[in-house]
Amino acid sequence: MPLETESRAQIRALISEFRPNHGDLLAAMHRVQHEYGYLSREAMEVIGEQLHLFAAQVYGAASYYEEFRFEPPAAVDIRWCSGPACRARNGGGIRDAILATLRVPMDGQTEDGRVGIRLGQCIGTCELAPQVWIEERATHTNEVVGELNAAKAIKIARALRDGATAREVLGQEVLRG
Amino acid sequence: MVSANPTGTPLERYEALKAPAEAAYAAWRAPERARIDVAIDTSSLANGAKATRAAIAARIAETNATVDLGQNHGYGMQWLQPLVTITFPDGAAVVYGPVKAEQAAAIVDIATGRTPATSTLAIGTVAGTREGIPSLRDHPFFALEPKTGRRLIHRLGLTDPENMQHYLGTGGYHAAARMLDRHQSPAQVRQELIDSALGGRGGGNFPAGTKWNFLATAPGDEHYVICNADEGDPGAWVNRVIMEGDPHLLIEGVLIAAYATGSKGGFIYVRDEYPLAIARLEAAVREAEAAGLLGDGVLGTSMNFELRVIRGAGAYVCGEETGLINSIQDGRGMPRVKPPFPAGSGVFFKPSNVNNVETYANAPMVVEHGAQWYLEYGTERMRGTRLFSFSGDIQRVGFMEIPFGVPLAGVIEACGGMLPGQQLKAIQSGGPLGSMLPAREVPNLSMENAPFSALDALMGGGGIVFLGDQVCTIHMAEMFTQFVEEESCGRCTTCHGGNQRQTEIIRRTIAGDGRHEDRHNLALIDRTLQFSNCVHGQFSPKIVRNTLRFFSDEYERHSAGRTCDALECEGLIRFRVTNQSDPRLAEAQDICPTAAVIGGPGARSVDDALCIRCGACTDVAPNALVREAKPATPRMVAIG
Repeated sequence: MPLETESRAQIRALISEFRPNHGDLLAAMHRVQHEYGYLSREAMEVIGEQLHLFAAQVYGAASYYEEFRFEPPAAVDIRWCSGPACRARNGGGIRDAILATLRVPMDGQTEDGRVGIRLGQCIGTCELAPQVWIEERATHTNEVVGELNAAKAIKIARALRDGATAREVLGQEVLRG
Repeated sequence: MVSANPTGTPLERYEALKAPAEAAYAAWRAPERARIDVAIDTSSLANGAKATRAAIAARIAETNATVDLGQNHGYGMQWLQPLVTITFPDGAAVVYGPVKAEQAAAIVDIATGRTPATSTLAIGTVAGTREGIPSLRDHPFFALEPKTGRRLIHRLGLTDPENMQHYLGTGGYHAAARMLDRHQSPAQVRQELIDSALGGRGGGNFPAGTKWNFLATAPGDEHYVICNADEGDPGAWVNRVIMEGDPHLLIEGVLIAAYATGSKGGFIYVRDEYPLAIARLEAAVREAEAAGLLGDGVLGTSMNFELRVIRGAGAYVCGEETGLINSIQDGRGMPRVKPPFPAGSGVFFKPSNVNNVETYANAPMVVEHGAQWYLEYGTERMRGTRLFSFSGDIQRVGFMEIPFGVPLAGVIEACGGMLPGQQLKAIQSGGPLGSMLPAREVPNLSMENAPFSALDALMGGGGIVFLGDQVCTIHMAEMFTQFVEEESCGRCTTCHGGNQRQTEIIRRTIAGDGRHEDRHNLALIDRTLQFSNCVHGQFSPKIVRNTLRFFSDEYERHSAGRTCDALECEGLIRFRVTNQSDPRLAEAQDICPTAAVIGGPGARSVDDALCIRCGACTDVAPNALVREAKPATPRMVAIG
């Protein structure tokens, strides 16, 4: 048996409580992604060993869900709300404005990994439509910026692209002036 | 933390839990000194409740105010979030909102008695009275709620959802304890449910008691109860409200179902987008276990029941029960052909029962008060009350608990009508697999399934979105076609292929390239999709079908007429500079993300080929540019 690499050992320790045939796969994948930001091939192999699944089965399940990623995430993600209340107030224009500003497709990120945009599903805070969430990985920030329009969305995207932190964006400094 | 009593009958053990809880809750409701409860729920947090709470805490510390700080769940008026409740020593409780961080000082002053309770921020009292402040129950938003008070969500705003003592202290778990004390056999519980006519709240309205009978009579002794909390319909957040606002109510409901169906295990499958609901449920499950209400030997009986919270990962179709079951058991959450139904083969291929959050949450009421009490509200076909969330272009966005059958017109009135300057154009209900109905049908609609079904529509799981006349229904239909396409699991060719084609046609129409044969082809896709194996495929063409039927003129204007009157559809509109001397025009040029505003001062114009129609330019310079219909261009005619 090959020597366990340090990272494999760490992942194994992280998911040691999960058992095969016990409905633990989602929880194990969430645990790893919360810690590392994404599911690496190595992580999926370790999860498979822990839960007595082939790595392909783990990947098959993971790739089915919107939430799991296989590449490191951006430092900050703009989560664009795709719900109807937002859509009724130019949500589509807001999406296109952010994509054009960042020059990335939906679920993509800038080359430097600073900022990405991801499709978001309605969470029922429609009193603030149209909205995006700002998700910052390092601080586990996840906050709504509501009552947007396309111009404000561009300002947010530009600020994040140019190095602003989630905190600065959420303080709405970038929207003033 | 509430801990278990080691001896006694189930009811004695329950009473031992309840007595201290009741005292604690009474003290909370009539505190020695005033307490400020900031609503902490998904809506309030989005509106800045954390900053509000921090500012209030800072103000209390800074002024040495003799005031406590707590939390509750919002009352339903989301347009007034962040909501804050002040409970005075005499037990009177006043709700204020919106309380932003800047109003923290004013709120603390009211709580200390330095300034009177009447304030421009005061909305109403939820307990006791205060001169000059109306009862919150008299607020027009709640005009349709039961006159005798809320039933399902009666604790919201009046308890701390993270405090189990508040649940116990308000009669929680009594129904379960009495039942376990051999007051009712499993069969009697199921019969009570059947007598109450409680229907499945996911939208189907299938009698819950009958469904429980299927599981109870299934072979083997390894049965499971599963709660579908994968509330994925955009615009619906009623399950979230129950899970965040009263998590033990759902746990008690699932516990009752487990008893009634002989289940040893249970799962609550919550969508990933609800982290607060997941956290509160997980904590509540741990507390209930510690109190002996879950786990081995529930309240000292021979009943063992392990309840687990499963966090989904963003797959809409896991809201279909077989998809949800596959998702729990380590796999891709793909629906499968039924039968076998879950009662025959469910999670881990064992007999299972799947119900919606609200269905389970109604069970404690039915068991506690009996079927007759439950039948008091609702209609012949749909009994009881249900939660609805209302959003879109209305004045008051939020949720309420109303009896089935109230007229939709009354709902719109309770929501304060449409926003200024807007007329109702469409009613979107039932989520992406639901429907879109025109405003002219409002007089024919009431809040139950039948009038919606009569129009080939679906009332659905509780979310209703009111769309104003600035919305293009074709543009809105595209949102839903894209949604159902992306969320198709891919098993049925009809569904994954059909929905791609459906989206392509709607997109092409939006791009200004509608074709004469599209209507025929959309109908063909619709018919083909009916051969899909699950409701996702079968219901996915419904919104387009509704649009073609009820907004036929608007569709034809797009397809044949190349015109979007709402000025939304990208291929049918353009932006044009109308005022070269407007100083904001330079700002518009700067904000444009594609540099489509070209030229120097006095000679700026929009390059139509670069313009993506995002509208940022008119956001910053509404008087310098205009969004207008694109003049018709000569069309290429295919030959041969």
